Amino acid sequence: MSGNISEALMLMGVGLATVFLVLLLVIGFGNLLIKAVNKFAPEEEKPKQIASKPVAALVDGAVQQAINKAVEQITGGKGRVEKIVKL
Amino acid sequence: MGDILNRIYEMTAFQAIIDNPGFLVMYALAFVLLYLGIKKQYEPLLLIPIAFGVLIANFPGGGMGVISPDGAGLVHFVKDGQEVARNIYEMSLPEIAHDLGVMNFLYYALIKSGLLPPIIFMGVGALTDFGPMLRNLKLAIFGAGAQFGIFAVLLVAASTGYFSMQQSASLAIIGGADGPTAIFTTIKLAPELLGPIAIAAYSYMALVPVIVPLVVKLTCSKKELSINMKQQDKLYPSNTVIKNERALKIIFPIAVTTLVAIIVPSAVPLVGMLMFGNLIKEVGSSTSRIFDAASNAVMNSATIFLGLCVGATMTVDAFLNLQTIGIVAGGFLAFGFSIFGGIMLVKLFNLFSKKKINPLIGATGLSAVPMASRVANEIALKYDPRNHVLNYCMSSNVSGVIGSAVAAGILIAFLG
Repeated sequence: MSGNISEALMLMGVGLATVFLVLLLVIGFGNLLIKAVNKFAPEEEKPKQIASKPVAALVDGAVQQAINKAVEQITGGKGRVEKIVKL
Repeated sequence: MGDILNRIYEMTAFQAIIDNPGFLVMYALAFVLLYLGIKKQYEPLLLIPIAFGVLIANFPGGGMGVISPDGAGLVHFVKDGQEVARNIYEMSLPEIAHDLGVMNFLYYALIKSGLLPPIIFMGVGALTDFGPMLRNLKLAIFGAGAQFGIFAVLLVAASTGYFSMQQSASLAIIGGADGPTAIFTTIKLAPELLGPIAIAAYSYMALVPVIVPLVVKLTCSKKELSINMKQQDKLYPSNTVIKNERALKIIFPIAVTTLVAIIVPSAVPLVGMLMFGNLIKEVGSSTSRIFDAASNAVMNSATIFLGLCVGATMTVDAFLNLQTIGIVAGGFLAFGFSIFGGIMLVKLFNLFSKKKINPLIGATGLSAVPMASRVANEIALKYDPRNHVLNYCMSSNVSGVIGSAVAAGILIAFLG
């Protein structure tokens, strides 16, 4: 029985040490992978977007001027138009 | 007329059941397990097939119980009215099916060969997301602390002198809280204990919502359980940023398999299949068909046969003995020690680190994914309604699966 106990103690030492070592290596390896992926493939491939019409093409100059004046009047000169989107 | 009635009576199982009332105990056990699986929803996908396997294996004359070989590999059975002893390892599968019945055919072809646990691990891998672990990589180390229960109970069981080293290791692996790992290890080391060990492993996994809070209550203070992980992240931000998670998730299973295969080759059947299942999930649309098969059809079929065969190993002679009681008690101890080990590792870490970790993240280092994490999250929310720790717990929880598979590999390598 004492042989069993010493074998179990040995397995406890070896087993816990190996599990710690493997998970430490997984963490280290994981960090290296993150750095490598960030360096060599930093962006995820995104599906190609359908080219949208430029804003300027959506409204003509007179309409844009009218919108700008309306916003200026309503906000008391504090607001400004950054983008015009056709819904 | 009397002769006919006598022959009809002999055809039934009544006399054999009267001769050995142990059968009634097995029926009661099967009914309790069926109740727990159906009504209480305790791991129903496995507990119901296991329970039904127990039931059909214990009808005398049914021929559905698994016959275990003795130390010399001999199985004893009746053929053409004569008792026969044959070496199971020299019998072909058709001979096993013909002489020992269909359940023995399934058991020796699918279970004893070690086929089904890795197949189930493939399905588990296909359903696992390593994203939370990769985003909180440092927390993965707490999955190692929670393997303490395995080795502590190995020591306890071996010191009783009641279990051999192989049997002690099979009992101890219940502490890994991973059913397929427990079954795989037991098949390799102590197949005679497969039934009770599988039952204990899955029962305690179903009892995670009871065992985790119990151990946490006994070992953690209110202050420790209130540690808010998001606040800690703001105070001590990580300098690791993942720019392309999809690419990382594809490379990660390949890298981990390679790493584990080099260090602990005996863990490859489990870790390799886990990572393969995960890889076909992460690759995406081009492997969606095999991902679907691995996570549904293949895994579900494997689960049915695993459950039935494991149940069928629990015959009167194999189950009703003192070893079974030892397994039930030892399994609980292994579970408790594993949670304790994970918590203590977090406490040790907190002694030396400015950034504090909630000990619940250590408690989830035992596998039982994702139930352990969900339970830990609920505990954290009780102490601080804004403290959502689920994602952090998933890191140690998933690493616990790798940790317990590695621990199983070590036990098999040393004792197999």
